Amino acid sequence: MRGRMMRKAARGALAAVAIAPVFGCGPSPITSTRIETSIETTFANLVELQVSRLRLPPMRASNFGVTAACRKQAAASNAGAGDWVCALVWQGPDRRMLRDTYDLFVTTDGCYAANLEGETFGGPTLKASDGTDVRNLLYTFEGCFDVSASGDEPD
Amino acid sequence: MSPRGLCAAAGVEWSKLVAQLKARIVLAACVVGPFVFAAAMRVQSSVPSDTLFGRSVTESGFAVPLVVLGFAALWVFPVVTSIVGGDIFSAEDRYGTWGTVLTRSRTRAEIFAGKVLTALCFSSAAVVALALSSVAAGLLVIGPQPLIDLSGILLPPDEALVRVALAWASVLPPAFAFTALAVLASVATRNSAAGIGLPVVAGLTMQLSTLVDGPDAIRRLLPTSAFGAWHGLLTEPSYYGPTLHGTIVSGLYLVVCLAVAYRMLLRSDIGG
Repeated sequence: MRGRMMRKAARGALAAVAIAPVFGCGPSPITSTRIETSIETTFANLVELQVSRLRLPPMRASNFGVTAACRKQAAASNAGAGDWVCALVWQGPDRRMLRDTYDLFVTTDGCYAANLEGETFGGPTLKASDGTDVRNLLYTFEGCFDVSASGDEPD
Repeated sequence: MSPRGLCAAAGVEWSKLVAQLKARIVLAACVVGPFVFAAAMRVQSSVPSDTLFGRSVTESGFAVPLVVLGFAALWVFPVVTSIVGGDIFSAEDRYGTWGTVLTRSRTRAEIFAGKVLTALCFSSAAVVALALSSVAAGLLVIGPQPLIDLSGILLPPDEALVRVALAWASVLPPAFAFTALAVLASVATRNSAAGIGLPVVAGLTMQLSTLVDGPDAIRRLLPTSAFGAWHGLLTEPSYYGPTLHGTIVSGLYLVVCLAVAYRMLLRSDIGG
């Protein structure tokens, strides 16, 4: 009796595994548009916070006008989890246009770790105007975006 | 099945459980572990930078429970929830005590419900103990500084505490799903090693499968996805889709596993 139930359970599990890919063959929800929207917001908020921590004249996140262009590394499709590169163009506190590039590792749940290419923002720690060491929030940071919401198509 | 019978069965199971050394050790580890982690972070210079909020762990005490939550989702929750759920039925086989448990005054349904309720209560107690201990360790060892969330917004301490509490609450449904998986393994195999080991191996396999960029629907069908749904609660604006989806999936695992386990128990050739 128990063997029969086990066989039924096994058949059910196999059927579920067989059916699941049918429903999962749609496009990946991890798209450049979603990554760009997320990193633009997170980066701008972190710049605002960094300016405050360095005791520089305060600025609002929206004043930095961050725009991002992201592409997936070494892949035919510009969608899905893995390694991405994002170029960020933004207006610095001195009104100059700046360009920085980040290497991203995006996980399947829509979270990413962004690491700065080069040393344009200094190292992992910075000196505030009063001489104290503060963590460089822009050197490496994390973010997440919703992969469950219906939204843009992969590009 | 009468409520009185259920309470009687659950009461007996709970008294048996609290007398077990393993249950006390697990709960003690849930309380002590976060303090050891927070103290280690305080005295050393390196931080767990490959984990969400790992870089903030020495700057804000509210990052400690979130880092612990990230670690726990990998293997601690499947282990902690299986230790009782995976043994609570098979222990009767091991000791040959089904004949004394299934007396005429209590039905199999009441015994089943009492054991499942006890396993679920223990899983809840372990998760709550780990959550409270992590928050206490973070606040006492590191301090109640504001927390930078996953959108780069600085959360004041009271807001950070609410988000941390919600994040921990969101892992209760998948913890219950793994408890039900362990109960099913315990009933099906009648072996405690398999009852505890199978859900843990299943959990690790599910976690590894989420690292592969496969079909999103398969990832969403796994209860382990719900362990990471709290990330959406730490962004601006917060998104709740993964939490809602993970709760529904966990509920389905809970119902299906318990239904199959119950049918197996009813049909099994045990004493009583």
